[in-house]
Amino acid sequence: MTTTDRPAAPPVRTHKEDRTWVGRSIRRVEDPKFLRGRGGYIGDMTVPGMLYAAVLRSPHAHAVIAGIDVVEALAAPGVHAVITGEQAAELCDPLPDFGPNPAAHTWRCLAVDKVRYVGEGVAVVVADSRYLAEDALALIEVEYEPLPAVVDPERALEDGAPLVHDDLGSNCAYERTFDFGDVERDFAEADVIVTDRLRWHRSGGQPLETVGAVADFDHATGALTVHTNSLSFTSYLFMVAGTMKIPANKLDIRPVPAGGSFGSKLFATKPAVIAGMCSRQVGRPVQYLEDRVDNMSNCDHHGSDRVYDVRLAVMRDGTIRGVDIDTVEDYGAYIQFGVGHHGNALAQVVGPYAMTSVRYRVRAALTNKNQQGAYRGFGSEVNNWMLEQMVDKAARELDLDPVELRRRNFIREFPHFIPTGNVYDSGDYDAVLDKALELSEYKRWRIEQAKAREEGRCIGIGLITAQERSVFSATEFWFWFDEPGAPVTSMPESVTLKVDATGGITATLYSCAFWGNSPETMVAQLVAEEFDCDPHDVSIVYQGSKNGLPATGPGGSRTTVMLAGAVEGATAKIKAKALRAAAHLLEANPDDLEWVDGGYQVKGVPEQRKSLADIAVMLHLFKHSFPEDMESGLEDSKVFDHPYTTMPSADRTDLGVFYPFMGHACHVPVVEVDLETGSVSFLAYAAVHDCGTLVNPRSLAGHIVGGTAQGIGTALYEEFVYDDDGQLLTSSFLDYLIPSAMEVPELRIAHHETPSPYTLHGIKGGGEGGRMMAPAAINVAVNDALAHLGVRVTELPITPDRLRAAIRAAESARGRE
Amino acid sequence: MKPPPFQYAAPTSVAEAVELLAAHADDDARTLAGGQSLVPLMNFRLAQPGYLVDLGRIEELTRIRTDGDTLVIGAMVRQSDAEHAPEVALRAPLLAEALGYVAHPPVRNSGTVGGSIAHADPAAELPAVALALDAELVVVGPQGTRTVRAADFFVGPFATAIEAGEILTEVRFPRRDGGQSFVEFARTHGNFALVGVASVIETDGATIARASIAMSGVAPVPVRATAAEETLAGSAPDDASIRAAVDAAVAGLSPSGDAHGSAETRTDIARSYLRRGIELALTRAQDRR
Ligand SMILES: Cc1cc2nc3c(=O)[nH]c(=O)nc-3n(C[C@H](O)[C@H](O)[C@H](O)COP(=O)(O)OP(=O)(O)OC[C@H]3O[C@@H](n4cnc5c(N)ncnc54)[C@H](O)[C@@H]3O)c2cc1C
Repeated sequence: MTTTDRPAAPPVRTHKEDRTWVGRSIRRVEDPKFLRGRGGYIGDMTVPGMLYAAVLRSPHAHAVIAGIDVVEALAAPGVHAVITGEQAAELCDPLPDFGPNPAAHTWRCLAVDKVRYVGEGVAVVVADSRYLAEDALALIEVEYEPLPAVVDPERALEDGAPLVHDDLGSNCAYERTFDFGDVERDFAEADVIVTDRLRWHRSGGQPLETVGAVADFDHATGALTVHTNSLSFTSYLFMVAGTMKIPANKLDIRPVPAGGSFGSKLFATKPAVIAGMCSRQVGRPVQYLEDRVDNMSNCDHHGSDRVYDVRLAVMRDGTIRGVDIDTVEDYGAYIQFGVGHHGNALAQVVGPYAMTSVRYRVRAALTNKNQQGAYRGFGSEVNNWMLEQMVDKAARELDLDPVELRRRNFIREFPHFIPTGNVYDSGDYDAVLDKALELSEYKRWRIEQAKAREEGRCIGIGLITAQERSVFSATEFWFWFDEPGAPVTSMPESVTLKVDATGGITATLYSCAFWGNSPETMVAQLVAEEFDCDPHDVSIVYQGSKNGLPATGPGGSRTTVMLAGAVEGATAKIKAKALRAAAHLLEANPDDLEWVDGGYQVKGVPEQRKSLADIAVMLHLFKHSFPEDMESGLEDSKVFDHPYTTMPSADRTDLGVFYPFMGHACHVPVVEVDLETGSVSFLAYAAVHDCGTLVNPRSLAGHIVGGTAQGIGTALYEEFVYDDDGQLLTSSFLDYLIPSAMEVPELRIAHHETPSPYTLHGIKGGGEGGRMMAPAAINVAVNDALAHLGVRVTELPITPDRLRAAIRAAESARGRE
Repeated sequence: MKPPPFQYAAPTSVAEAVELLAAHADDDARTLAGGQSLVPLMNFRLAQPGYLVDLGRIEELTRIRTDGDTLVIGAMVRQSDAEHAPEVALRAPLLAEALGYVAHPPVRNSGTVGGSIAHADPAAELPAVALALDAELVVVGPQGTRTVRAADFFVGPFATAIEAGEILTEVRFPRRDGGQSFVEFARTHGNFALVGVASVIETDGATIARASIAMSGVAPVPVRATAAEETLAGSAPDDASIRAAVDAAVAGLSPSGDAHGSAETRTDIARSYLRRGIELALTRAQDRR
């Protein structure tokens, strides 16, 4: 496709310059309730008559369930029901699944016939307390016939590997190779082809409160009410009704604050279905709340787990022409979101660099592990890491300065379409880099590094420049198939604004249970900007799915941009009505009025004015003062659809626009490596992000700190380790190591603002950037510290084991020389 | 992660506690100290005692005192209290330093000195400290009181010389001169260490008079680095002696590996931390003189 036949972009906007509230670090409006312990998590909820469920988990990675005896468990004190996988399969249909072939890799709330990973549920007990439920679990006897497990993704794709799903006939759930641009030519003409093999192991988001649900099935009405801390997808959670085999209009899903998600609660349906199924069986409300082992072994949201073979086509002067990526991803035992994670990668696959071609081969391997879901970055962070390691390696092989090599390849004209078809709406990568060089004191650290080396100390500086895509469009789940199973959704987000009779404003949100991303603060600031009120005076409420408008909720750093669009749209409707009402009350022509400081007034005549409160009270109570066709009240909603999505080409050589609002960042950690122990510590860390126009600099900085902390975890500590038999060795925080305040250095953070031409105020998303950058930057830093010793680490997390092994190998290689 | 049912009693004297343990032996009665190891094990149902005897109300076990040259720490002294006690800083600085590595402050506020030693986690700090300082463990049971030397106390991973029905009441640390140090390598702060090294080194003019070195994390029980001790004794306090001592000790190690470190990596780390520990203790010994 050439540029000429691309669908039109949305109109370029002009942004308001004299903003009052957008851009200010106001106190978060969510804080008082959470800091006072009034957030209202699942664990805080009690409903009269509520019972508790606990799930029996498979100790085997792969085994046939030959029989289950629940007689003793049923007779145990306080037990109300025991439901096995087989019974559950009669009570419920399979779980909602966006995988490539759900009929052949069917995913249910409890395993039937065979278990496919350690931790998979085989039965659920409902009892008076969680204690009694767990006592009864110990009395269930399951007869397992163990099968050989397949744990390594490449081995899983080999002939003769044990099959995770017999119906699929292989462990390859998806395979396809895409060519974007003239790959053959770029590689044929390249001076140097840099190659590498890289391995990213799985970790995952670790929420403080795990996933849970309180379900209450009313046999009198056939209605099921579920409080859950999943994303309250008013747009999609109706699918739970399908699984439960109840009409969707009998289901109400109410959002509960997530208590941490980082992606890991995205569209979490299993706990809601388990609680709902149990409630319907026993006729009482049932709470099912995962404990930590449940969550770590069975949350369905492990993060990416990839093997890469990569080639980078580079010219002697450092120009990067193209990249050829061949990746095998270990999805675990199921594949609920298909290979959408690679859509994320393809959104920014070339990074900030002006490459002309990309080859992307992806193979999705099924293995005997818990399945993948979402984790901050959704697969784009893995691509960032891979690409930055390759660029870094290119700099070494060409003996070019790594900063200059990056700068030489920067994209400088926007909007810019990358070879995959996605657009980068705006950016200023030089400005971000310059700021980062200064903030990090890069030059000084290079001098320190040289001094330290003379003393035998290994200091490394890891500068990376990478992309931070935001506001995903569902096509990234969809363009994988020539004939997708359904048309593509626009991922809408909705807001209702109500101006009450006193002029007070209430905003209703439909899908934003608090995820840590401050949706209430964002909406309060945006509403305040529109209506000239104090953001702390805006009241924010949530609506359940039953009375909800279409809304997708957080994910893919979309919330703020989407909420802004919805707030803008709802505001426009309200202001149109208010303008008409004011004109009537002032006996003026609407064209002669202007919005000034929270009300409408006759242009140039400030005393001829009606405040929003004046207008609202009239509209609420005194309808007869207005023309016949004016309705009472002042409330309106906006369902805001994704603002910039274009369709892929039929042959998929162009995937269209699906992640248009492109942020950018430069991270510069300075690390010291202890050669003797293989441990890595931080001497400094600087980060500059450009997420377009800032709504609240402090809350964005919070995202950057938290995301970077998680990135440090991914780079150095966190890993779900499965042994060769598929046993999960890290199923509690004793073994799954999370960095604490002691491991995370003080960050120096700066923002740069390049507004998006297409969004309200020029906002871009920024919820995931820290974790998209840190693993790449830390790996580069560690390699920078050790390059003079011939050590290069290509596997994350960089544990003492892996680093010592690399150091030992380099030592013995030097010994041989 | 909920424990199975159990009964619970909180006696106020050691005698009463011993009686309760005997009376409920059939219920697999266990002592409960700070609960920082036992309660997680019960939540995972890896321990399922039917009866818990909580030592938390026994006053006499919460004292830190001196007996001549010996520092005596009651089994129920909280780890954080011992960490900050002036007597400990003065008489067993090694113990105070090691306590700073045990978990995080909130855990140390509940966890006890006796609980850690009775629990005998091979990666724990305090058993190695007890071994390096030649501590004596006082144990009370139905047959009366007996004293066990640290060298005889740790018999396997999570296994000690305490018999069923017995209670550890006191840990006695004899006075040691010289420089003391505790160093360890843990992957994150507050987590169990891969390797810990407790060192006590006495110098006599230009030579090392005596060295006591114990290591955690490298064997099923804390071990004395006897080869290093012997190499150091009588040698000059220089790099060559330290290197020889480290080499001698490491040659005798065969740690087992796990998800956090292979045997090879643990050996590498042991080599590094032995050197650091010895160097630090030696520097302190020389500073004291
Ligand atoms: C997050 C976390 C991190 C930790 N990190 C570390 C660490 O880095 N290093 C470390 O060493 N420890 C660590 N611990 C363990 C902690 O130090 C415990 O406090 C200690 O191991 C046990 O002490 P306790 O008083 O809590 O004993 P409890 O847990 O109550 O008891 C432990 C065991 O000892 C027995 N016992 C206790 N007291 C006596 C007694 N007087 N006589 C006979 N038997 C007795 C009990 O019956 C039980 O079997 C950690 C714990 C947690 C929760």
